[in-house]
Amino acid sequence: MSTVTLTIDGNEIFAESGLTILEVAKRAEITIPTLCYVKDKPTDNPCEICVVEVEGEDELMRSCVTLVRDGMQVQSESERVIVHRQDRLAIISETHFGDCKAPCNLTCPGQINVQGYIAHVAKGEYEEALRLVMERNPMPFSVGRVCPRFCETRCRRLLIDEPVSINHLKRFVADWCMRHEIDLKIPKDKPTGKRIAVIGGGPAGLTAAWFLTRKGHEVTIFEAAPKLGGALRYGFPDYKIPREIVDYEVNAILRMGINIRLSQRWGKDFTLQDLKDTGFDATFIAIGATVDIPFDVPCTDKENVYTASNFLRMINEGRKLDLGLKAAVIGGNNIAMEVARTLVREGVEQVTIVYPRSRLEMPANQRNVKEAETEGVQFLLMASPSGLCAVPDDNNRLKLDLIRMKLGEPDKKGKRAILPIPGSTNSLSVDTVVSSLGQMAVNGMMTGGELETQLKLKPGGMFSANPRSAETSVDGVFAGGDAATGTKSVIQAVVSARRAANNINAYVMSCEKDPVDNRFNFTRGKSFDDVSLKNFDGIGVTLREKMPTRPPEVSTQDYDEVKLGFTEKMAKREAERCLKCGCTAFERCDLKRLDIDLKVNINKTGMGKEPLYPIDTSHRAITVDPNKCIFCGRCERACAYDALEVKAHSMDEMERPVGLVIDFKENCVSCGKCVENCSTGALNKNNRIVPIQAEDVREVRTTCPYCGTGCQMILKVKGQTLMEITADPEVGPNFGDLCVKGRFGHNFIQHPDRLKTPLIRREKGMPLEPVKWDEALDFMGQAFSKILGERGPDALAGLSSARCTTEENYAFQKFFRAGIGTNNVDHCARY
Amino acid sequence: MTGLVTVLGSGAMTNTINGILDGDCMLVIGSNTTETHPIIGLRMLEAVKKGSKLIVADPRRIKLCDSSEYWMQQRPGTDGPLINALCHVIIRDGLEDKQYIEERAENFESFKDSVADCTPEWAEKITGVPAAVIEDVARTFAQAERAGIYYTMGITQHTSGTNNVYCLANLAVITGNLGKPGAGLNPLRGQNNVQGASDMGCLPTFFPGYQRCDDQAARDKFAKIWDCSVSDKPGLMATEFGDAIHDGKLAGLWVMGENPMVSDPNSSHVKKAFEQLECLVVQDIFLTETAEIADVVLPAASFAEKDGTFVNTERKVQRVRRAIAPPGDARDDLSIINMVSNRILGNRDGDYHGISDPVFHTVPPFASEIFSEITECWVAMAGMSYERLETESLAWPCPDKDHPGTPILHEERFPRGKAWLSAISWDGPAENPDDEYPFVLTTGRVLYQYHTGTMTRRSEVLENSAPAAYLEMNALDAERLRLADNEMVSASSRRGTIELAVRISDRITEGLVFIPFHYKEASANLLTNDALDPHCKIPEAKVCAIKITKLETV
Repeated sequence: MSTVTLTIDGNEIFAESGLTILEVAKRAEITIPTLCYVKDKPTDNPCEICVVEVEGEDELMRSCVTLVRDGMQVQSESERVIVHRQDRLAIISETHFGDCKAPCNLTCPGQINVQGYIAHVAKGEYEEALRLVMERNPMPFSVGRVCPRFCETRCRRLLIDEPVSINHLKRFVADWCMRHEIDLKIPKDKPTGKRIAVIGGGPAGLTAAWFLTRKGHEVTIFEAAPKLGGALRYGFPDYKIPREIVDYEVNAILRMGINIRLSQRWGKDFTLQDLKDTGFDATFIAIGATVDIPFDVPCTDKENVYTASNFLRMINEGRKLDLGLKAAVIGGNNIAMEVARTLVREGVEQVTIVYPRSRLEMPANQRNVKEAETEGVQFLLMASPSGLCAVPDDNNRLKLDLIRMKLGEPDKKGKRAILPIPGSTNSLSVDTVVSSLGQMAVNGMMTGGELETQLKLKPGGMFSANPRSAETSVDGVFAGGDAATGTKSVIQAVVSARRAANNINAYVMSCEKDPVDNRFNFTRGKSFDDVSLKNFDGIGVTLREKMPTRPPEVSTQDYDEVKLGFTEKMAKREAERCLKCGCTAFERCDLKRLDIDLKVNINKTGMGKEPLYPIDTSHRAITVDPNKCIFCGRCERACAYDALEVKAHSMDEMERPVGLVIDFKENCVSCGKCVENCSTGALNKNNRIVPIQAEDVREVRTTCPYCGTGCQMILKVKGQTLMEITADPEVGPNFGDLCVKGRFGHNFIQHPDRLKTPLIRREKGMPLEPVKWDEALDFMGQAFSKILGERGPDALAGLSSARCTTEENYAFQKFFRAGIGTNNVDHCARY
Repeated sequence: MTGLVTVLGSGAMTNTINGILDGDCMLVIGSNTTETHPIIGLRMLEAVKKGSKLIVADPRRIKLCDSSEYWMQQRPGTDGPLINALCHVIIRDGLEDKQYIEERAENFESFKDSVADCTPEWAEKITGVPAAVIEDVARTFAQAERAGIYYTMGITQHTSGTNNVYCLANLAVITGNLGKPGAGLNPLRGQNNVQGASDMGCLPTFFPGYQRCDDQAARDKFAKIWDCSVSDKPGLMATEFGDAIHDGKLAGLWVMGENPMVSDPNSSHVKKAFEQLECLVVQDIFLTETAEIADVVLPAASFAEKDGTFVNTERKVQRVRRAIAPPGDARDDLSIINMVSNRILGNRDGDYHGISDPVFHTVPPFASEIFSEITECWVAMAGMSYERLETESLAWPCPDKDHPGTPILHEERFPRGKAWLSAISWDGPAENPDDEYPFVLTTGRVLYQYHTGTMTRRSEVLENSAPAAYLEMNALDAERLRLADNEMVSASSRRGTIELAVRISDRITEGLVFIPFHYKEASANLLTNDALDPHCKIPEAKVCAIKITKLETV
């Protein structure tokens, strides 16, 4: 074989003659991008992405068909090449129609893999669903109860009937796993020797502790209160998040191995300097925003006047307060709603929320407003308190002076000012007033020591921290959650803390941060108006499942949970409503990858706007979405059985297919190789239900457990969940081939029928009953020892399996031969 | 395996899977390769495209027949006469590899005499394969430069199973097709680690590495490695367990990862025996039919949840790597064996109490340590280690750490020296059709299911593709019984009855029916015969006589 010498991008390369530039570059580890290349199978309809500039040639050359020559000088990344690739990609992308990520996923502040966990629920894989949630959110119980559900507002199902009840599904899987005592087996990295202090044991502190512990750091939480939970325990009343749920959630997080120091108040019991001195490598401030903004009206009597956080804390601690029969709550935020509902439960007969704007302008989630109203809370809108000075004129203890408001001119942001209507004063007679005007982390200055005074605060009383890195003005001290962002939802605290944990890890380990998700996204339509209704052809109306709820006349009598949670059947039905917008080829899509790499801005150059073809689910294992097909033809050429046909009725002026047909022939054996060769998500495995996005996918090489061929395969694993099986074209004996069992036959691994506990039958005729290992081993040990003692070793036998490993078979026969003393050992398939 | 050991001194596929592409001719007999070994089947189809000639011998017109040069449709259970007739033609026409026979084989003359009467015409009467086809096939096979033989249970699951293997070995030897690429005698293993389980001595008469229990030297060796005395008494074969239980000789049985209640012929007999055990322990990933009648059920791990190796059909030792944790309280099988050993043999040190592995709960010794011990026991694996297996693909024998492994066996010599050409006469199947049971039943697999279906039937794509048992029948037979496609019938043998749907097919001949054995609701092995091959005690799952009656719909 003769060799040639050439240069690619200035690198001198010796190569076999007869090879293409693309092959030679690949062997020299120079990546030339391509969308249509299949080894040894050239195409009539090239993608032209692999073009290169060859010295002496006027035209750009396709590296996949151009053979190397001696002395050739190749430029694979010249500007001309890049521009041509960008042009080609823009043309190809223009007809690609689909969503990379689902709108729910994009809208979730936690970027939770919503579509993924819903898909697990639909299949009854609740444990897997919860693991997927917990990959990014360790507080599924609380968030599943109180999340504002940003995701549901963007759910495309709204265009058919109603959004999917996403959050109820999250709560369902969390509750299901709790009820079934599931150990999620979430591993943590090897110890790093780094110590991290977390100040505050609320949602943000617990979240940061969880992620940092998983990274192998030793974490200690310092909590001022006698119990962990923060806002979950002292902010949300029991009817929203029951105490035992908080306990369970907190304990589940602590089981990861986290140190806790309770009743330790920062600034009083310890300072940042103390933490530094005791060897903490970094500190995370997550004290929440628990200081109420004072109710600043002229007032003669402070008795029977409370601020919201204090009030809720006292109630949650079990304090009995004399609240009278009538109460006013000042403010329209979420906390105000909980205060009002708590007052109802405390026996107050008339609870009025006073708010200076309209109902729709309330900062509280409208769902919470409605729930309060259902329980009998009244709303006095367009009214603002002006004083509490007046003496009561009847049996009530307080007289709240009010002035009515009207809307003024809009400001720059379009928000209309509120103006008092002169002379519109009136008053409300009440026994109790609770003000809920917002919270801050610190009132005034943070005290304690030198470092504390160096901590910069924002005007609103929050810690000043970089929203991306969570760094404060003090080196090694980070802040997140409400303490930095102001009062927000639990999921937002979780996100803030997760991001902070990532940065703290990078800080203590002096390593790179995890990369931020790329925002590149093909979409079927950014806003609802952009989404073609043709997307939903053939999908009938199925309304969402109704959450079982205790009626208000009953639920307001106690603090038990109001919403009872979905049953398993409801959860499954609800999960099946998901439209599965996001692409399950997300992680393998070459088109997206190249668009990102080559900086093609599809928002400018264009993408498909409406579906031209129905999605074809007639194949037993593969779903075909021709709207995503870019006609690269890799599937057809990769098929070893010649069982797939991709045709176009005609081509448009840009040489793109019109009237596309993707057909499986009768001889298709469903091996799925075409899917692995698809350059987009046009072909997809039916059982690849979870879009794999961003972090945490492991690839484990192993051997197929079916026939004796011993195909080598790659298990794609997320957490403890097997997502998919693929094969490496470079590794024998199968060289990228697998059969239908190899690629599709692995759902049994997470099947609910799996045996999960030892069983014994105490006496013949009795049923099998679950026991702990200890008891099962004793039971078996006694039975075998008895037989051995009474009848000798040959009364025992072992039947081993061709399914088990070599090592297991060796150990098994050794047990019988060396341990028991018999050769009675065989396997079923020895012939 | 017994057959191959006797003739060649070693019982495994002699050549490699991808070597199929180097061959000029393939004889596939008793193997529905595209369904049971799809990737090997794919290589065969690729070889055909490259010009290799494919000969299929199978009672059913399996998919490979569509690409074959010749299809010999022998009657079930008549493989021996067919192969002997091939040998007859080859020797008669002087096409045998004389030099090879001279150098590498013994007993040729007496073998030659034994096939002297096995003319193609004689074979046609027994097998139904036209004499002219036998003549053509014999010449094609003998004249190929590299001809490989590929077979599976269709050859072995007969009372004459061992003899059938002898016959195939004779054919390979006289044509000089052992010890070179693209040829060989290749049993395709039906399960992922049949080879490894056999290699490791889960066999009643062999220690690991096929070292015989009745050999004093072998016993001394293992007594030393294991630091205990070992028994020289041959153990019971699995197929003898049932009778031993009935006779009160066997009282405790530990079944690891098998489901004999569905996989074994005459399975109602197996059930009766197992129920008489004092203690039946079943270790599995699902509550199988066998586990349902157990006294102790131990929850085990799937392949994705354990570390170790599988030995594939071409003797390659390949790593299995843990990707995820077993569910709930389930444990990997090795840890279970270690826990049981510790409990029964009293070695509490290694007991699981002391282990702090909250995710995987593994109990030592771990797979890598066991593998090192294996390499001490058997010279064929002595050169292997987990480190080497990370980057190398090693087929045994691999006697030292610089050895590259042995993809092709017998290149220089056979382990027993020369190959023994055995004279084989033919007895016919144990059970033949008669007036009462007029159909011959043969059993097998389908692409989408596997074995007793515990895994595949719980994997959606596979189960939806082949959700129910069926009885494949020729259109003429169906017409005679007035059966329409998909109609329900009852199929009975002397041992049992099942109900299932008829599938009319032109891939099967008159008088013969086929039932896949994966389905417990219509378990083919309730019908099959547990008559055993006298040599290796394999049951005759591939032929029995049955009757078929239309089920009256209510």
